Order: sequence, then structure tokens, then C-alpha cells
Amino acid sequence: MMDKKLKLDIYKKIILSRRLEERIAELIKAGQVGGFMHPGVGQEALQVAAIATLRPDDYMMYAHRGVAYWVARGIPIERVLCDLSGREGGTNRGKGGVMHVVFPELGVLGESGTLGGCFPIAAGAGMSIKVKHEDKVVLCFFGDGTSNRGTFHESLNFCAVRKLPVIFLCENNGWAVSVPTEQSTSVKDIADRRHGYGVPGKTIDGNDVEQVYDAVSEAVAYARAGKGPSLIEGKTYRLWGHWIGDPDTYRSREEVEKHWRRDPLPIYENKLIEEKLLSEAAKAEIDKDARAQIDRAIAFMEKQPFMKPETALEDLYA
Amino acid sequence: MRTITYAQGIKEALEEEMRRDPTVVLYGEDVANFGGIFRITSGLQEEFGAERVFDTPISENAFVGAAVGAAITGLRPVVELQFADFLFTTADEIVLKAGMWRYVHGGAFKVPMVVRCPSGAAGVGPEHGQCPEAFFMHSPGLRIVSPATPADAKGLLKSAIRDDNPVLYFEHKLLYATKGEIPDDEDYLVPLGKAAIRREGDALTLVAISAMVPKAMKVAERLAQEGHNIEVIDPRSLNPFDRPAIIESVKKTGKIVVAEESYKTLGVGAEIGAMLMEEVLEYLDRPLRRVAMPDVPIPTAAALEKFVIPNEEKIYQACRELLS
Repeated sequence: MMDKKLKLDIYKKIILSRRLEERIAELIKAGQVGGFMHPGVGQEALQVAAIATLRPDDYMMYAHRGVAYWVARGIPIERVLCDLSGREGGTNRGKGGVMHVVFPELGVLGESGTLGGCFPIAAGAGMSIKVKHEDKVVLCFFGDGTSNRGTFHESLNFCAVRKLPVIFLCENNGWAVSVPTEQSTSVKDIADRRHGYGVPGKTIDGNDVEQVYDAVSEAVAYARAGKGPSLIEGKTYRLWGHWIGDPDTYRSREEVEKHWRRDPLPIYENKLIEEKLLSEAAKAEIDKDARAQIDRAIAFMEKQPFMKPETALEDLYA
Repeated sequence: MRTITYAQGIKEALEEEMRRDPTVVLYGEDVANFGGIFRITSGLQEEFGAERVFDTPISENAFVGAAVGAAITGLRPVVELQFADFLFTTADEIVLKAGMWRYVHGGAFKVPMVVRCPSGAAGVGPEHGQCPEAFFMHSPGLRIVSPATPADAKGLLKSAIRDDNPVLYFEHKLLYATKGEIPDDEDYLVPLGKAAIRREGDALTLVAISAMVPKAMKVAERLAQEGHNIEVIDPRSLNPFDRPAIIESVKKTGKIVVAEESYKTLGVGAEIGAMLMEEVLEYLDRPLRRVAMPDVPIPTAAALEKFVIPNEEKIYQACRELLS
């Protein structure tokens, strides 16, 4: 069950993520940073609430979309901005950019640039936990399109037969770049694929913080108890284009507008107001605080020097 | 000195390293109950238990990629691929993940893992008989070793398991039964990146890789009887590659033949040739000769396979041509 502090903490992280992406989009459009960024606007509830179920020593593999994974896990945002802009102080020393933000101290194992490359790695982290008799878990995010990679099926089967503590969490946002899910995927609900592997799971509303928190908590407890993997699917929507600058010509404006009415941010905000956990004054304060944090992080980033070119030859071998 | 087989060298390395280090795990298709299709790992599950030695589904992408995940979270996995050719099945996991996970994340991780790759033509056809070392020499971030003797099979595997980088360990199928001496030193290690001079000489440098080494030694004996004392170098590691060993030898001999079971185009010999052009062209008094696989898949029928695989006669002829 979520207490008041947790609910507000999730809200603050959603706000910070949303405001940060808005600022990053402004910076990219103004040519102030040159990064290639896949925005996660609209998917923050699923990402933040799921990560809130983890302990600091658990592992996670995130997917391509958005900053909320890092904000939720507590990676300093100025470091993410340095990764985006190729400056000193980032998490991957100019090698992986914003696509490969990493933070082993908090179990963030990095990201696979090839979609679906995350699944075997998550399985391997699960194997490691089991061999060392730990009770950690691995939370592995992925998109609906990625569930068509062979690695998804191989890894789900592998984790199921070895009872590895991996939570496969699908963010079904309806689109794989420009291809709608119904044109690429044989099932309506990705979570149905669990039946092929004999693992538990369910389809939930990925824009509903409490549903996400409850479902992922259940899967985490199941994994921690040594019972094996789960497959959860949260239905959500990618409110912006595939990347910042995407002309987004492949979707109807009606469809996008319909989903803006399901934007998880105001939905959650109104819920907290109804529950009297949030006042208009507190809301304004949280928003102001998020903007101030981002201003400080951007100021930090701008003072950082760009990575030295010769760094390109470092970090290959241990 | 004891005499052991190449297969026994591999098994002893696995046993010793697993006893020494509880983070070493071994897995792959059929390795546990059956002991591997080449029967290298029999009995290991009994000793080390089902958590550390286990069979996998036929899912190379999942289990090779899992080695990367396990390595970055504190294990030292040793994965057996049944055939080196299956590296291509799992290229994303080998090239982009094992080779690059450390680099793309700015050195945040070490990736200590070994993939055992039975290689080489042995009547098993085009998808079970290749020596694909050269493909992976082209990929940054991987270590590549190709032992040719029982002592190296053991000593290089032990070093590979202890190395903090991903190592592709190519064990040639036709060498499993070969016998050789191994020093009595209990903890015998062969460092990665150090070539072995199998025979010293000054008439010609013959670089031989993996199963070409015993063939090269026979050629060297035959040439010695004809009055030509040639030097045989076994690189043992293809990454890191002992460039100085070859350069020094060529400075002495002025002639070089490279014998390998890779395809000729952009094979190991091509890299050696380019290196010599850059470094010591002035020392070469004859052009480089390569004895390699023609650029065709390895056929299954014995007569066809025999026709394409480099043999003693082809190596001998290449040497003779330069010595004349």
C-alpha cells in the first residue's frame, strides 16, 4: 500500500521528469544541445511508480523512452544533462550519450541500443542474484514493439525455467516508431504472451500510478521470494513523437488528442487533490522547486567542459 | 612434466578455476548431464552443483547475453557454444554487448566472461565447421585466443577465466585428442597476448594458427631435412596480438608464410600482411604468402572438405616458393 509520503514522492518525480523533458526539448530545438532524445511524455506514471517498488540494491534495465527512469531512480539530473551534451560529468564519459546513461551504484546497468538487447542482460543479472543467493530483483522495461524480438521470447523462457527474479515490464504505448502495435504484433495484450511461458502477470492501466505500483509490487515480492519472473503490461501512450523533432506524420491528430485527455499527470494530480494530499499552493511549490532544480542542473552542465576527443580511445578494455 | 590431451587441458582449467573461484559458473547446451557434445564437461555438475553448471535451452542469444548480465553483476561465466559458428547467431550479444558494454557505459563495468567456441572443419559441414576468429578480430572490445597445444589449451583458458574482459576461446575440434606435455606447476598460466616460438630458425617465418600448428611443425621438419631452418610462430592470442614477435622474426628471416583456417579475404594473414607493410616492408625480400580457406563455405563431403582446408602440402609449397 502506498502511504502519503510515497504518493507525494512519486508525484514530485513525475513533475520533475515532465518539466525536464520540456526543457530538454527547448534546448534541442534552440540548438543549445545536440543530443538525440526519445521523449517519454505520457509514460512517466508507469516508469516512476514501477521504480518506486524497488530497493536501492535492486537492478534495473530501462528502455529508450524518456528521463523518468533516471529521475525516479535518483540519478543526479545534471549528470544526465552532461551525457546529453557530451560534457565532462556525465555518467558514461561521452561514449554512450543519453541513450546509455548508467549508474551501477543504484543498480542501473545501462541500456542496449539494439532494442531487445536488454532481455538477456536482465536474465544474466537474475542469474547472478540466484547464484549468489541474494534476494534482489531485476526490473526490465521494454516497449510493445520490442516484445517481437526473439530475445524477449528466449529470455522469458530462460528466466521461467531457471526461476530467475526478473520482472518484465512492458510499456505498451501503441506505436513502434511509426508502426502501430496492431500491425506488428499478434496479440492485443502483450501480457497474454506470458501464457506461452507459464509465468504470472497482467495487463494494467499504465497511466494509473496505483495500479502500476500494486502490480509491480506483487511481481517484485514474487521474484524476491525466489518464485521467478513475471510479465506485466501497462497500457500507456507516447504523447510526443518518437524523437524530439519527429514530424509525427503517421498518427492522426484525433488519436493524439484523445490520449492527451488520458495524460497521467493531471489524472494523478487530481487524485491527490481529491485525497487532500495536495493543495493548489503545494502543487505550485512542487512545480517551482522542479524548475529550480532543472535551472541549477542546466547551469552546472553549461559550466562543464566538453569531453576531450582523446577520451574516445579509453574505456574499451579493463 | 605430465602428458595430457588438449581436451583434458580444457577440463582441468575449468575444474581448477571453479574450485578456486566460486563466482565462476559454466553453462550451455548439453554441458551438464551429458557433459557437452564433445564430452569436455562431464562430471562437473556433480562436483559444482546445478546452480554453477547447468544446461540451457536452445537460446544462444539469451544465454550468451546473460553472460554479459552476469559478468557485470559479479560472476565470471564460462559459456559453451556447441560450435563456433553459433557466434553468428548471437552476434548482437557478442559484438555489441560483450564487446561494447563497458565502453558505451564509459568504463562503468568489467565484463569478465569466456565463450568457448569449438571451431574447425571436421567433416561437419558449412555451419558447424568454421574458424571465425578473423570476423571477431574486427570487433573492438573482445579478447580472442586460439590455443594449439594441450598446455596452451589449459594455460590460456585459466588466464581467460581470470581476465576482466570478454574472451572468445577457440578450441579446434581436431585438436581435442592431441597429446602434449604440461609443466608440473599446479597453477600453470599462459598470458594472453604472448606468441609462442614453436621452432627457431632464420630461413623463413611460418605463422601458424590453431590446428595449423602441428601441420606447420611437420613442414618445418621436412624443410630442415632439405637444409632450410625455418621459424614457426604460434600467435596463440589474436587479440591482444603479439605484433613484436612476428616483426622481430621477419626482420631476421625476410620471408613469411601465414597458415590459417579462416577465409582468405580479410583473414588473420591479411592483417599480418598489412602490419608488415606498415612496419617492416624494407625487411621483406619476398612477398607474403597466405595459406587459407578459399572464400567458399566449408563443404561437407570429405573429398571436397579436404580440397579446401589448408594442409601440409599447401603450406610446404608456399614455403618452398619463397625459399627458392
